[in-house]
Amino acid sequence: MSVSIDAEVIDTDVLVLGGGFGGAWAALRASELGADVVLVEKAHVARSGASTMSGGVTTCPIDSDDLNIWAEEFISHGAYMCDQDWTWQLLEGARERVKTIASWDVPISRDEDGNIRRFASRGMVDVRCMQYQPKKTMEELRRRNLAQGVRIYDRVAAVDLLTSDGAHPTKGSIIGALGFGTRDGKSYVFRAKRTILAMGVMAMKGKWHIDNVTGDGAAIAYRAGTRLVDLEMGCGGTFTVLMKNYDLGGYNIAVAHGAQLINAAGDRFMAQYDPVRFERSELSRVVAAFVKEINDGRGPCYIDLRTCDASYWSDLETVWSRNSQILLSDHIPNPRENPLLIEPQWGAWAHGMSGVQIDLQCRTNLDGLFATGSNAKNKATGTHSSAGSPTAFAMNTGYIAGQTAAHEACELPLPDLNAGDIRTLIDAMRAPLARPQRGLSPDDIHDRMAWLETSVVDGVLNNAGKLYRKLEVVEEMRAALESCHAPDPHELAKFHEARNIVEFARAQYLSALDRTESRESFYREDYPETNDDEWFVWHGITRTAGGVPVFDREAIPLERFPLQPPSTGGRRLSPVAAMMNGTYDAAAYA
Amino acid sequence: MHNDRLTIDLTLCDGCGICVDSCPTDVLRMDAEAKKVTIAYANDCQACYLCQDDCPQHCIAVSFSSQNPRRKSIYDLLGIA
Repeated sequence: MSVSIDAEVIDTDVLVLGGGFGGAWAALRASELGADVVLVEKAHVARSGASTMSGGVTTCPIDSDDLNIWAEEFISHGAYMCDQDWTWQLLEGARERVKTIASWDVPISRDEDGNIRRFASRGMVDVRCMQYQPKKTMEELRRRNLAQGVRIYDRVAAVDLLTSDGAHPTKGSIIGALGFGTRDGKSYVFRAKRTILAMGVMAMKGKWHIDNVTGDGAAIAYRAGTRLVDLEMGCGGTFTVLMKNYDLGGYNIAVAHGAQLINAAGDRFMAQYDPVRFERSELSRVVAAFVKEINDGRGPCYIDLRTCDASYWSDLETVWSRNSQILLSDHIPNPRENPLLIEPQWGAWAHGMSGVQIDLQCRTNLDGLFATGSNAKNKATGTHSSAGSPTAFAMNTGYIAGQTAAHEACELPLPDLNAGDIRTLIDAMRAPLARPQRGLSPDDIHDRMAWLETSVVDGVLNNAGKLYRKLEVVEEMRAALESCHAPDPHELAKFHEARNIVEFARAQYLSALDRTESRESFYREDYPETNDDEWFVWHGITRTAGGVPVFDREAIPLERFPLQPPSTGGRRLSPVAAMMNGTYDAAAYA
Repeated sequence: MHNDRLTIDLTLCDGCGICVDSCPTDVLRMDAEAKKVTIAYANDCQACYLCQDDCPQHCIAVSFSSQNPRRKSIYDLLGIA
């Protein structure tokens, strides 16, 4: 049909929003199955998202591994809050995805015999990971997608989903998306039989130096009426700040190779909390241990790389370049001879512990919409995201979503578009370009949102008072967005990123207030106990037509699953609460 | 040409445009007239080093020491270290 609107209309079978690891895998799989595929990326596929900037660690099962042991480790460390069918699907899929990557021409850390070098990384004892070069892998994915005929739209920011009834939230289905060119400002309407969200995690700009993962996927989904899950669990952190200013990156890799954390007295403080995994324990506990050291006057703390094995240093130069930039420079003391001042950050960084609800086929609750990667809730790993599991989840959800979407699309006609609805959405998308320059700029709003997460101590030691104060800022920024001016398409992209961050943060803080307990990475000083009687659930949030969120609690169907927790029900101090009051018993919380 | 985070030696730049694709935050653009790269949105540089790594002429340098106004060290906030 012809649509009289000021935009380019692009029709496709499968629309993939986001060209990081999850999206690139989804587009590739859907196109391999014969679907016409459009891949939309606000930066440049192969140079965007968390995947490109990651350490390139992924869960690496091989045929000879007994996956029962791996599944048990994932599920027990995930506090049994897993969909165990997902855990098995992830592990079995990871075996195949690893074989695929190993067959590509990308650098992988290998031993002297040329076999993939596998190692126990952060969070696990029996599970093994591997390390690949993420930039080269993303380049290979781009090349393969183009070879398959995938139409890639770089520098196009997707802003909202199109719905069959024109409503947000919708009672109908998802029929595509709307976006604009971040350089030329051109409006795009993507009409699709099936749409896959692959837009990554939400992080405040300036925090992690991965500034374009701004929660776009989850925020877009939320506005359209998708159910999000466990948003409050999407606060996390890791040790990223070296010598107060430099970005370390690769904590998981460093500790996998033997790096240690020590306090001002030189004591390896994780020994008292986790005598098996030490610094490879749950990040929530390692970061909480750091906060405890600081609060009790035993700081500052250091990362000691002198205990790393030889392959850590050789891989720095061959497999991963970003980390080596600072460690091998002369801007810091020689890390082979000196412990280095280190600190973690804590804040919105989901790691798959929160996000869009998906089923085993990566379908959301909205017809026509799928989600992959870190903008989806990873039910395979429960409350714990071990090193390598987010990339494994991105690859496998991408593969599965691409496959299912392609199969479904071949049976469907193109949906009808309503020109009136689309004109309204385009006007709203472009409105900041036409506003006068007054009030806060997009940068001002990003500043204010980033400063909400300035202190790691405040972030870990959360309570209702702090959450309400954060929500006051969020409401102020929501109002500021209404009059925010964007002078050009580049700034318009930052405006929409700010809009998504504010939307996501609001839902996250409200979810945190609603959850009246503490559990692993989620700690509230005012509710320090884990309360299984009320909160052994998946915690859903859905936006209503008035913008008001509605919460639900979905029971975890343990009766369906083979592995059962040693005990259910009851209350006890959460591990972080016990660490803070000095009663933590390593054996009891193992 | 430089700002707080990026320095570009334009005498070496051959205008290939690779860095313009590399930048995740759209800091760099091509100057159509000069046929060289230009720093269009300096404040958005996230110091990820992708442009520096990708430049075949090695004409881009990302500063290690630039300050990040959106992040403060907990050691500075608490006055230790």
